[in-house]
Amino acid sequence: MQRAPSVSRQLVIAVAVPLLLSFLLMIAVLDGIFRESATRALRERLDQEVISLVTATELTDSGTMDLRLLDPESRLSRRRSGQYAEVRTAAGKVLWASPSLAGLPVNFGAAVGKGQASFFTLTLADGTELGILNRGLEWDYAPGQDAELVFSVAEDLEGQNARLWHFRRQLCLWFGALAVLLLAVLGALLRRVLRPIHRLEQEIAEVDSGQRAQLGDGYPRELTGVARALNALLGSEQRRIRRYRDTLGNLAHSLKTPLSVIRTAAAGDAAQRAGINREIDRMAQIVDRQLQRAAMSGGATLGQSAVQVAPVFAELRVAMRKVHAHKDLVIEVEVESGAGFVGDRGDLLEVLGNLLDNSCKWCRHTVRVRARLDPVLPAARNLTIRVEDDGPGIAPDLRRRVLDRGVRADERAPGHGLGLAMVADTIALYGGELLISESPTLHGACLDLALPGRELGAGVVTS
Amino acid sequence: MRILIVEDEKALRESLKQDLAAAGHAVDVAADGEEGLYAALEFPIDVAIVDLGLPKISGLEIIRRLRAAGKSYAVLVLTARDSWQDKVEGLSAGADDYLAKPFHLPELQARLGALLRRAGGWTTPLLQCGPVALDTRAQAVAVNGAAVELTSFEYRLLEHLMLHAGEVVSKTELTEKLYEQDFERDSNVIEVLVARLRRKLDPNDKLNPIETLRGRGYRFALARGGVTA
Repeated sequence: MQRAPSVSRQLVIAVAVPLLLSFLLMIAVLDGIFRESATRALRERLDQEVISLVTATELTDSGTMDLRLLDPESRLSRRRSGQYAEVRTAAGKVLWASPSLAGLPVNFGAAVGKGQASFFTLTLADGTELGILNRGLEWDYAPGQDAELVFSVAEDLEGQNARLWHFRRQLCLWFGALAVLLLAVLGALLRRVLRPIHRLEQEIAEVDSGQRAQLGDGYPRELTGVARALNALLGSEQRRIRRYRDTLGNLAHSLKTPLSVIRTAAAGDAAQRAGINREIDRMAQIVDRQLQRAAMSGGATLGQSAVQVAPVFAELRVAMRKVHAHKDLVIEVEVESGAGFVGDRGDLLEVLGNLLDNSCKWCRHTVRVRARLDPVLPAARNLTIRVEDDGPGIAPDLRRRVLDRGVRADERAPGHGLGLAMVADTIALYGGELLISESPTLHGACLDLALPGRELGAGVVTS
Repeated sequence: MRILIVEDEKALRESLKQDLAAAGHAVDVAADGEEGLYAALEFPIDVAIVDLGLPKISGLEIIRRLRAAGKSYAVLVLTARDSWQDKVEGLSAGADDYLAKPFHLPELQARLGALLRRAGGWTTPLLQCGPVALDTRAQAVAVNGAAVELTSFEYRLLEHLMLHAGEVVSKTELTEKLYEQDFERDSNVIEVLVARLRRKLDPNDKLNPIETLRGRGYRFALARGGVTA
């Protein structure tokens, strides 16, 4: 499967690459400027040296150089000081060499004509780099007599090179730090910009799990279109389901009453009436079951909120005591107060109503109900409800038949009617479980249900 | 018996009226919610049959309003959908029994008969006599705020006694309230129930809520009105 392209990553790369390239370019340019400026400074220094040499020179009659004013403290006097000088004739004869040279094999290069100069770098055998300046001069040493001389000065570039590398290091360090800082700021900005998208993701998850019915406000302009469209979709889904339900409800109403009329108006002898009544019963049952199945939401819909279980049991308890008024019943109800059912309240009422009705019908005296959220089970099945009674119970071979969806409803559990079959169908639609056994304490029927559940807390809509 | 039928479907309404009149009852009919509500509030009815799906005013609303107005006669609801949601709604609003359409006439008549023997509905949702509080809507009892678990019969007995607090209620009257005609009436049962009630309401023998009047019956001895625990 292809990995989805990441907007963040593309953006980061799109910014980082030009940034780094331009930084490298700037480093190169600054380096070049620095080197050029260093070289110029070197040339100027060397030029100064030549001038001071010239000032200190006297050419004697015999043609020898006399540098009287040469400062004994100057670098030219010290051996291997890093500064060297030479004076030659145009022909190349060395008239004077600085004491600093002391036999160092420095080739000052070709002689230059008067008024000309040459400037270059020379690397010695031991790796030392020298910057060399040659100047050609015309020397008037006596009226009518002049000579063409070449003044040469050399400087060890070690110091300059060291400065150059120091500068480069500083450059790289500072630009590197700047690049890191800029990318970090970019990363933080990206996270901030993308936060609404994460919020959208989270709100959609909350809608799906039923914690909210619609997406909230406050999205940036680019996302409000999406949020609004989603809310419209949610609204129309909910309306659509309501419409289906209302239609089906109206259908039920309109079919049932004519059936009542037919039944009461049935003419003919007893056998014929019995036959007609049987068919009417069957029609009524079919309509009932199909409508109940169709009207079930069949699991959580979009934006389904959880239903509080305790009030449902409280209502059913009152109803049972009225409906089974001819029996002296004890109905014990123990429900965890925060237990919620993730599904339709009507479906829950049908399931529990049928189970309780059956239990009350068959029990001798006592019906017991327990409902809680089991923390060990997965959320799709963690609402556990147990309904047990002290009646005759359901025979083991019948238990499997009741749950067998292939068997026709009215043939499944004679005496238990349609209700138990419908309960099994509903539970299956929610992906839950139903177990029938014998009650360990009351010795009648014991029905254990597992349905999707959720702990109800603050901020959740309950019915 | 005076019976009120509130049903918008004409054929069903008419055939029911005929059948019940033929059985010897006086029958009033209403075709929609408005007529039904008026009849429910004004006529001296013994039992009302109310269809849930009515035009103008719903069946549930009629039941709520007549209970709020203090009418205590029995009410049976007819539901088109055989759904527990409708049944529970009807019963919680104040009905005493339900029947799903389509139904057999004999079954309707049997249920009506049973209802006529039982007391219908409530006059007030909460009955308070001394520290004993009876919530007729939730069918729950509390003494000094602590809930007391009663069986159906114990509850009905107590409800009747408290409704007639201060008056003498005969054993026969109580038996009629609890049992249907076909059950063998054992007067001893009432004594057993009263004994159980006394044990549950008054375990420390301090309140003495129920008085026995030899040869006459029982009386709820605590006065109406609340006492905060």
